[in-house]
Amino acid sequence: MTAAASAMAAQPNKPLAGTRWDLVMRLGLLGIIAILVLIFSATATGFLTLQNLDNNARQMAVVGILAVGETFVIITAGIDLSVGSLLGFGGILVALSLAHALPIWLAVVGVVVIAIAVGLLNGTLISTAALPPFIVTLGMLGILRGLTQIFGNGQQVGYDAPRFTSFADGNTLGIPNLFWIFALVCVLAGIFLHYTRRGRYVYATGSNKESARRAGINVNATTLTVYAVSGLLAGVAGILLTARQAQGDPNAGTGYELDAIAAAVLGGASLFGARGSIVGTFLGVTLVQIMTNGLNLLNFDPQVARMLEGALLIVFVYMDHWRSRKLAAA
Amino acid sequence: MLAAQAIDKTPVIEARGISKRFGNVVALEAVDFEAYAGEIVALIGDNGAGKSTLIKIISGALTPDSGTLAMQGSPASFTTPRDARDAGIETAYQDLALAPDLDIAANLFLGRELVRPGLLGKLDFYDRKAMRKRTEEHLRGFGIKVDSIDQRVDTLSGGQRQSIAVARTVFWGSAAIIMDEPTAALGVAQTALVLELMRKVRAAGTTVIFISHNLPQVFEASDRIVVMRHGHRVGTLDPRTATMEQAVSLMTGATAFATTAN
Repeated sequence: MTAAASAMAAQPNKPLAGTRWDLVMRLGLLGIIAILVLIFSATATGFLTLQNLDNNARQMAVVGILAVGETFVIITAGIDLSVGSLLGFGGILVALSLAHALPIWLAVVGVVVIAIAVGLLNGTLISTAALPPFIVTLGMLGILRGLTQIFGNGQQVGYDAPRFTSFADGNTLGIPNLFWIFALVCVLAGIFLHYTRRGRYVYATGSNKESARRAGINVNATTLTVYAVSGLLAGVAGILLTARQAQGDPNAGTGYELDAIAAAVLGGASLFGARGSIVGTFLGVTLVQIMTNGLNLLNFDPQVARMLEGALLIVFVYMDHWRSRKLAAA
Repeated sequence: MLAAQAIDKTPVIEARGISKRFGNVVALEAVDFEAYAGEIVALIGDNGAGKSTLIKIISGALTPDSGTLAMQGSPASFTTPRDARDAGIETAYQDLALAPDLDIAANLFLGRELVRPGLLGKLDFYDRKAMRKRTEEHLRGFGIKVDSIDQRVDTLSGGQRQSIAVARTVFWGSAAIIMDEPTAALGVAQTALVLELMRKVRAAGTTVIFISHNLPQVFEASDRIVVMRHGHRVGTLDPRTATMEQAVSLMTGATAFATTAN
């Protein structure tokens, strides 16, 4: 035994290779954000102002909440393409409810329940019916966008609920309420993923579904949970966007799935599963927001930021691919 | 523990008259199988002999068309691997046992995490410190060396992974461990490590059932050899008295039936 054990100990392996990679990526991301802030501070007038900081905090909150839900899904090696459409659907439903004079709490709770139900439907089709997440959520994207247009009659839906809109405009302790909600979502999600058993099962499911199942983990329940969380957060984001814009927009959230997926992936989430963190996703959202905002202030076409975001997504996925191949070869 | 001493004991696992068909293909035909406490049983046979089907039935991954299972003499029936595991039968699959992205301690406790005491535990918070400490103690007790228990499993060598998978099953006090080709992808030193580990498992009183195509290894490591051919059990060999030629002729059908053990 001792001979065998020492032979094993002498085996060259790469201790903590995975952990070190995560750290390098995290620091790299912080570095890119710092460089962008420096460049924009020097070149874009109005970038380094309290007003602009306030704007950024409001804008990133909605996409950030979506990205947190997307992170849950991506850690299980899934994908949720329906978040942008669900945001739009939830947004139009809450606007219609308020326009029909429903109490605010009822409108909000109703939309949250519907959003969770959509997430559970995605999760059921993916876990129990074993359909590919890409197809299920792409189909759901189409269904929800169509429903949103029909419900909204293809038009903006106005409503009159000052307490609802003033919440989204308001600040608490100098920080926008929307950002508080985003921060709360991040803290709860981070605690769940990194400190609880069910959070660990999300990673285990993404690491190797079959091992997780054989270890006695209820993989289907875990899959249902992550899509339900993604649905819930998309609904919340839709409600907040409708409050912020003081109307329901049937086109709201179009293309937001790119923002959500990009933020999670830039933050270190791997489409191969089992990797990703809320801190990383927060940094990813921040990077996308600062880039978009800075380029906007420099009078670039908004589509330039979108192109860069798409390109960054591809580059980061490529790097992740490279990492996992290297690890497999080791 | 020698097979001869185990004869008059009740088997830890006993399968009687197990049959299984897949469509028109008969995978198993009235197969009996038994494993006693603290022995290493090797299951050998050519491809398609029914070894894996039998193992899957014992581990709950498949249900038999007919036949009965018993654990320590009392009837048992498994419809899922979970049932078998709850009854004390663990399966250490080479690539399916561990979550490669999680660290060693997380894997040892996978699916059975310790929770924090008090309110945090009720809120599902796991106790990382306690799990790390117990993992460290267990690995040391088992003589498994790793650089750090915080290492992700995908940074371990194949032999180390296999060791962790086996250490986990022993840690949870299983009555029997099933290993399907435990050394198939391993080098010489790593293979020696796994065979040594099997002996330690046996010393801990846990039965080991393993499938292997490597006959020298089977003869070196096992206490009893069960030979399968075309869905039938065609013989039982005692590795101390039988020869590899006998094993091969049983596997290929050159000899119809033979028993040197039991």
